[in-house]
Amino acid sequence: MSHGPSGTDPGQGPAPSPAGPAGTGVPPAPWPGSPAGEEPRQRLHPLSPALHGAKSLVVVIAGLSWSTLSRVGFGWFVAMATVLALGATVLAVVSWYNTGYHVVGRELRVHEGLLWRRTRAIPLERLQAVEVVRPLLAQLTGLAELRLEVVGGGKTEAPLAYLGVAEAAALRQRLLALAGRAPAPAPQPVAEHAAADQVAPFPPGRLLHAVVNRDLLVSQLLTPQAFFLPFGVAFVVAQFLSQGSWSFIAVASTLTAMAGVLLQPVRRVLDDWNFRLARDDGTLRIRNGLLETRVQTVPLHRVQTVGVTWPLLWRLKGWLRLRLEVAGYSSGEPDDRNRPDRLLPVGDLDTGELVVAEVLPGVRLTALATTPPPPRARWLRPLSRRAVGAGLDERVFAARSGLLTRQLAIVPYARIQSVRVTQGPAQRRLGLATVHADTAGGSGAAAHDRDLAEAWWLAAELTARARAARQVG
Amino acid sequence: MELIRLAAVLGVLLLGVAIGWALTGHWLFGVAVGALVLSGAWRVVTIVRAVHAWGYAEREDDLLVRHGLLVRRLSIVPYSRMQFVDVSAGPLERAFDLATVQLHTAAAASDARVPGLRPADASRLRDRLTALGEDRAEGL
Repeated sequence: MSHGPSGTDPGQGPAPSPAGPAGTGVPPAPWPGSPAGEEPRQRLHPLSPALHGAKSLVVVIAGLSWSTLSRVGFGWFVAMATVLALGATVLAVVSWYNTGYHVVGRELRVHEGLLWRRTRAIPLERLQAVEVVRPLLAQLTGLAELRLEVVGGGKTEAPLAYLGVAEAAALRQRLLALAGRAPAPAPQPVAEHAAADQVAPFPPGRLLHAVVNRDLLVSQLLTPQAFFLPFGVAFVVAQFLSQGSWSFIAVASTLTAMAGVLLQPVRRVLDDWNFRLARDDGTLRIRNGLLETRVQTVPLHRVQTVGVTWPLLWRLKGWLRLRLEVAGYSSGEPDDRNRPDRLLPVGDLDTGELVVAEVLPGVRLTALATTPPPPRARWLRPLSRRAVGAGLDERVFAARSGLLTRQLAIVPYARIQSVRVTQGPAQRRLGLATVHADTAGGSGAAAHDRDLAEAWWLAAELTARARAARQVG
Repeated sequence: MELIRLAAVLGVLLLGVAIGWALTGHWLFGVAVGALVLSGAWRVVTIVRAVHAWGYAEREDDLLVRHGLLVRRLSIVPYSRMQFVDVSAGPLERAFDLATVQLHTAAAASDARVPGLRPADASRLRDRLTALGEDRAEGL
């Protein structure tokens, strides 16, 4: 089993390397001439430039696009792609040579860059979550990418790409142990245990839930994209038949466009394949992905908001989706794929309740009572008045919204950053106001269109409860 | 209160734009200037009212900031959630000896901004906020 965040095995001394990589058997080259007394700087895995090169090849081909292919012919296309990819690989080798990381005290330092030297020191107290991502190519070569999430970072901080799997797992253990409640910057507890069990297909800890892949497939078939696909295909085919032009470019472009539309559900299926959720004292382990497996580790006390969504078509099956907001995953990240917010891609109410109870102890999903806004709010929300609502539970604030896609945001009082009351002109005429509870990262929860007196009371109550919750824990 | 002068400056700016328009345009300029004067006067009135609507209160555990006329907003920010305090003064603000204090929390949505303070008040508020924040520091 793993050493949890409380992992206290001091006295191992400053061992030079966190763990011998088991995957490929190539030891990471130590940094030449590192100052004595410090832990030597570790290089990334020697295969990583090759992987970066391969990745850039894909980008290059996508960038050159179909039209270039038709214009310059196949041979030239291959030549161009090769030259560009080779250039990228050379750059990757250079940057690999100059990249290194090591743990100093309670900081992780990452050095990089040839012309623009950059050293980032990441204080581990601020660590919000650690993620081990393994894209397809990395899976084939036994490598993994380690990502750290820190509050305030505009983007994912310090993606260490790539490390050996065992090395990545050991480093993750070690960072989490340091980030946990380790009191003093004592001699660092080096996670020198056998890393073999971490390479095991399932994350260590108590398995909470595993999503059945069939449910996942069905759930994604019930999304609008998949639902309207037959119509789209019929439309395109009809157009081709009527025009009778079957040029290569037209077909290829159409296929690309179709792929774009279908990308989201397909991606979700690929990303959430084999979804496993486990609990390992105080942290959540989430493992998912078919082509790109990622293992996320989220300390439970870092969870800011839990969002529950009931999409319209899923209500036929009584399914729901759970999302997790952690500070540090910037909401501005355009690609929501990198926002590891899935807590449960698909599941029924019982599962949802189980998972919520685990993440937010003492909270029962079905027992969260919310009250709808007063009847005069129907002037503002003629249809959805019954669907919105808000309620104060013992430990959390719950707000419901959405008519077709029902949503429920659950914010623990202890995580509320600030409370706002806003009142638009129409709301003022009706004597209504909206109460927002803001959290770090993510949108927080909003109780829409409450009675004015109730809104003031709600804001005061939220502030008071948040203060009480902070003082307790 | 203090921002009335800022409002006056805005009115002058609008008039300046109107005159510039008058020099370049032909018969339309009269209408344009009239409209601008009207809207400028309206702006002055609303700005004065908006300034009166802006207020803050330092409570024991949190800072209340209220502002907005059409859309009314009230923010309650606990001191312990404060990440950092900004005191800024743009060129126009400096010309009238004013400063803006802004409170940042870890949540991007929190907006606690107190504009139009005297620099002495601003630095007093900043010092008080940071002192209180240190007492109750909590972070996330």
